[in-house]
Amino acid sequence: MTTQNVPTEDVEGSDRRHRIWKNSSGSRQGLVLLSKYGTLVAMAVMLIVFGVFVPNGAFFTSENLINIVNQSSLTAIIASGLTIVLVVGEFDLSIGYVASLAGVLVTGLIVRQGLPLFLAAFITLLIGGGIGAVNGIVVTKARVNAVVATLGIGTVVVGLSFGYTAGSPIVAVPKSFPHLALGKIAGLPNPIWLMAFILGLLWVVLNRTPLGQRIQAVGGNRDAARLAGIRTDRTKISAFVIAGLCAALTGIMLASLLGSGTVSAADSYLMDSFAAVFLGSATLRDGEFHIVGTLIGVLIVNVGFNGLSQLGTPTFWQYIFKGGILVAAVALSTIARRYARR
Amino acid sequence: MNDSTLSPVLSARTSSQHAWLEVRDISKHYGGVYALDGVSLAIRRGFVHGLIGANGAGKSTLVRCLAGVVSPDSGEVFIEGKPVVIADPHDASGLGLAFIHQEVSLVPGFDVFRNMTLGIAPQTRLGVIDWRSLRRRAEGVRTRLAMRFPLSADIDDLSTADQWLVLIGRALMRDAVLIAMDEPTASLSAVEVERVHSVVRDLVANDVAVIYVSHRLDEVVELCDDITVFRDGKVVSRATRGEVTKPDLVRAIVGRDVVEAQIPESQLHGRVVLDVKGVSDKKLLRNVSLSVHEGEVLGLAGLVGAGRTELAKIIYGESHATAGEVRLNGKKTHFREPADAAAAGIGFVPEERRSEAVFADRSIAFNITISSLAASVVSRWLPLLRPRHARIRASKFAKEVTVNTADMRQLIGSLSGGNQQKAVIARWLARSTSLLILDEPSRGVDVGARFEIHRVIRELAAKGTAILAISSDVEELVGLCDRVIVMVEGRVHAELKGSEITTERMIALSFTRKDERQ
Repeated sequence: MTTQNVPTEDVEGSDRRHRIWKNSSGSRQGLVLLSKYGTLVAMAVMLIVFGVFVPNGAFFTSENLINIVNQSSLTAIIASGLTIVLVVGEFDLSIGYVASLAGVLVTGLIVRQGLPLFLAAFITLLIGGGIGAVNGIVVTKARVNAVVATLGIGTVVVGLSFGYTAGSPIVAVPKSFPHLALGKIAGLPNPIWLMAFILGLLWVVLNRTPLGQRIQAVGGNRDAARLAGIRTDRTKISAFVIAGLCAALTGIMLASLLGSGTVSAADSYLMDSFAAVFLGSATLRDGEFHIVGTLIGVLIVNVGFNGLSQLGTPTFWQYIFKGGILVAAVALSTIARRYARR
Repeated sequence: MNDSTLSPVLSARTSSQHAWLEVRDISKHYGGVYALDGVSLAIRRGFVHGLIGANGAGKSTLVRCLAGVVSPDSGEVFIEGKPVVIADPHDASGLGLAFIHQEVSLVPGFDVFRNMTLGIAPQTRLGVIDWRSLRRRAEGVRTRLAMRFPLSADIDDLSTADQWLVLIGRALMRDAVLIAMDEPTASLSAVEVERVHSVVRDLVANDVAVIYVSHRLDEVVELCDDITVFRDGKVVSRATRGEVTKPDLVRAIVGRDVVEAQIPESQLHGRVVLDVKGVSDKKLLRNVSLSVHEGEVLGLAGLVGAGRTELAKIIYGESHATAGEVRLNGKKTHFREPADAAAAGIGFVPEERRSEAVFADRSIAFNITISSLAASVVSRWLPLLRPRHARIRASKFAKEVTVNTADMRQLIGSLSGGNQQKAVIARWLARSTSLLILDEPSRGVDVGARFEIHRVIRELAAKGTAILAISSDVEELVGLCDRVIVMVEGRVHAELKGSEITTERMIALSFTRKDERQ
């Protein structure tokens, strides 16, 4: 969003910048590198620090590393759906609530309606995608600002969750359900495989399909996209549907992990996703949202969490770390980019 | 109001004969083109100074320099003989200069009072805005301008002429000495025009200086005390009231040394591709009918604001007509959005390249293939793009329009304006179109690119595409079109064919007023 529109300031600041960076192509190069690889450097520094200071070398065990990726995978799935919405130039604040609803819905359909797991999951995904479609339609057809629209619809979704559960968690799920998130294939936990599949799929959609190209075009220049013959409303709605599907999938996996459907269990994924996506936008590309960046953003946060807790740092530090690194990384890349341009 | 006289009371013009504001030798160029080339001008208090010229002659640029929106490359501005610096609009306002641009400067939803007092905030000793004294002054201005509506009226409820009056009121609230007006009567009825004129006369009678930019030469002759004619960024003629007639002004605007370009041979044209019948819209267009044939290049000439872009956007489904119909290949169209028009075989190259056509931070390949992605997928049922295939296609069409680069992965933003424009045209070569609409196809491009763009357009026509080319550059239309339609104030005013298409004719026809036509 904000990160993409820097060039407008260029005219005004160009003189000053010129003076500062005259004949200093070396430092300019450095800034370009810093803006693109700053987050990766931060990641490397963290890995080294944790590797050295975590007692008994417990950080760099394959068990711990797999654990970090496993913990990242649900956030990565929901955040990559959000990435698509941000690429198309919109916003979705409902994803956390949609994920929570999906959790109670999938468990409820299994426990109360007695549906088989895959049918319950399918219906839940359908509803997640449907909520995404409603978001998209309200934003494009009724022209409600996306922040307001998705916040409102998200709140309605919270209401639906409470209505469905009457406030108490849905427990007594069959044993096969937790297996969904706790099982392993070829030694790796299922969520990691699922994440790899979803992120790979979304990368292909975004970069190798006409829909993805249209999503990028609409996000890049909406007026030009419309005049180039792209159905901009339909494209935006598709992006919201993808975000809704990803949110529902994360919600189902979380319910499986917890072994119950709890109202507002997944709400905190909203902030985690935004943190990851914006961290990722500061990685490798100039403030552009992209799937690989989002994955790196999720990993950085979780590497930090994991290392800090293994160092015995009190929990409150983890939040300070998460908020701090997000603001620092995005600010650094924005500033570096501004000085590096021309 | 109406009793203000044709020849204002001379005694009111205290500082009359010498200039209040003087512009000396101002130049401004964009790339290699001079928008202003050594322009000097003197504005007197208590007189109306008319600035006229064709589109892009430099009059607007001069006004924008005075407004602090554009900074000139060289030259000086003096007020009462003292040099002044106008770095931004705030400076201009502080020097007593006011600029009336209707659309941009009123705040919808605000009432008349708040629109008139926008940005003015006299404070009491406590640092609070002194609304009472402000309201008293506003009442005074309202009486002076004989506003027939209360200060509490909602700005959206006012007519265009009344909204203009509010802007004049704002200028007077700021004690403006000079008020510059850009096309104040462009969209007004005859009665409203008369009201505007009487307000202007009243202002100068009260020792205000008025700069009056207009395309309506009759009113310029009638209203202005001093007249300055611009052509190609230079002042080509100066006159005072009574010295000139309208034909003199037309001659000055066109220039005597018009180069006659060669006229393309008029072929026998095929069937009608585009048929527009009696189209009107809410604001400007009135009963527009025209048709474009297979293999024909139809030019749309006219002044800025004549309704040409509006018409193009209706044909392309970007906006909608309130009356009339558009037929494409014999079938009536019902486009809800441009995508429908594109699917039906219409291509559109917009006027504003940066904001409406180009994806600046994307590759050339992306920009060329974005409207024809279906051609590069594996199959209909597996919509996977083949990037190499897309790049090769892009490269093929880039070559056809001679985009000056080999690497299709390069960002389009790194190309020159001309090459970007060619890439946008290539976008439509990449899918089959029966009608291609180009709005200002060669604006802001260099001579070489312009030549290539014209060649591409002619070649497309030769292959049977119907072309609708809008241009404010009449010389461009002479070399390019089989037929030209001149639009004036939202209507089709005249049609020129073959050897009738000359720059003088198009300009003279463009400057015709509505009431002269009957």
